[in-house]
Amino acid sequence: MEPTYHDGGMNFCWRLPYFFSEPKRHDVVAVRFAGSKVMLLKRVVALEDEQVEFKDGKLYVDGKGMDEPYVHFPCDWNLPSRRVEKDCVYVIGDNRSMSIESHHFGQTSKSRMMGVPLW
Amino acid sequence: MVKMKYLLIGMLIVIIGIVAIFNFIPSEEKKVKKRFHFLSEWVSKSPDENAFNMLQKNKKIGTLFDEPCELKVPSHSLSGSYKRDEIMSYAMSARSHVSQLDLKFYDFNIVFPEKEIAKVTLTARLLGKSAVGEQVDETRELECVLKKIGKKWLFSAIEVVEVLKK
Repeated sequence: MEPTYHDGGMNFCWRLPYFFSEPKRHDVVAVRFAGSKVMLLKRVVALEDEQVEFKDGKLYVDGKGMDEPYVHFPCDWNLPSRRVEKDCVYVIGDNRSMSIESHHFGQTSKSRMMGVPLW
Repeated sequence: MVKMKYLLIGMLIVIIGIVAIFNFIPSEEKKVKKRFHFLSEWVSKSPDENAFNMLQKNKKIGTLFDEPCELKVPSHSLSGSYKRDEIMSYAMSARSHVSQLDLKFYDFNIVFPEKEIAKVTLTARLLGKSAVGEQVDETRELECVLKKIGKKWLFSAIEVVEVLKK
């Protein structure tokens, strides 16, 4: 999530927001694996039922180019269009300086959203 | 008074015995966790590991698996039944590509759906350095099935759960 959050930094997960509301686009969220000891920090870029794709490093949602001021490292990613399934969101990290194969991103279930970073 | 004293001592011995049984005789859950502890120990690699240790660890890794074992790793197009020898050679090849490796498991959830079958969901984290000096940092959720064969719990299926689907 560089440069928004630095590797090795410390933060707390604020769990209340998603008890009362749904994740919104551009939210930074903590995504859990099997439990809460290890989590990923990612940004929500597309919501349920939206089409998401990358063309020459630019993110498109429902065919519209997205403005992403939080991305400081440009990329040349290409990803064919795909629809976000029911009860899921599409998340990506802010650091896209690596190849698309090396970046861990994609669609995930809303039930895995543990909360947001406290700061 | 004397009888009361003996009664109290007797009760104390019984309590100590019960505590000892719970602490020193491992439960099935502890035995299952122990297999993951061994897997972590034998997959991990220190920079100064020599060829002899590498072979020894590789042999030990093989002893943890049932024959055959079902593996499903969608991101690496790995899916199917594998013999113990195949798993050992896969582990050998993977470990030879890294100079340092540390495998840790978190968030164990162990259930016993049937007698002598354990289903375990957990998070696995691999940290290390590749042979060419690149950082290795991989975290995955795993669903594992272990079967009790003889007195040992053996891995009979391991599936990598797709937490993020590209």
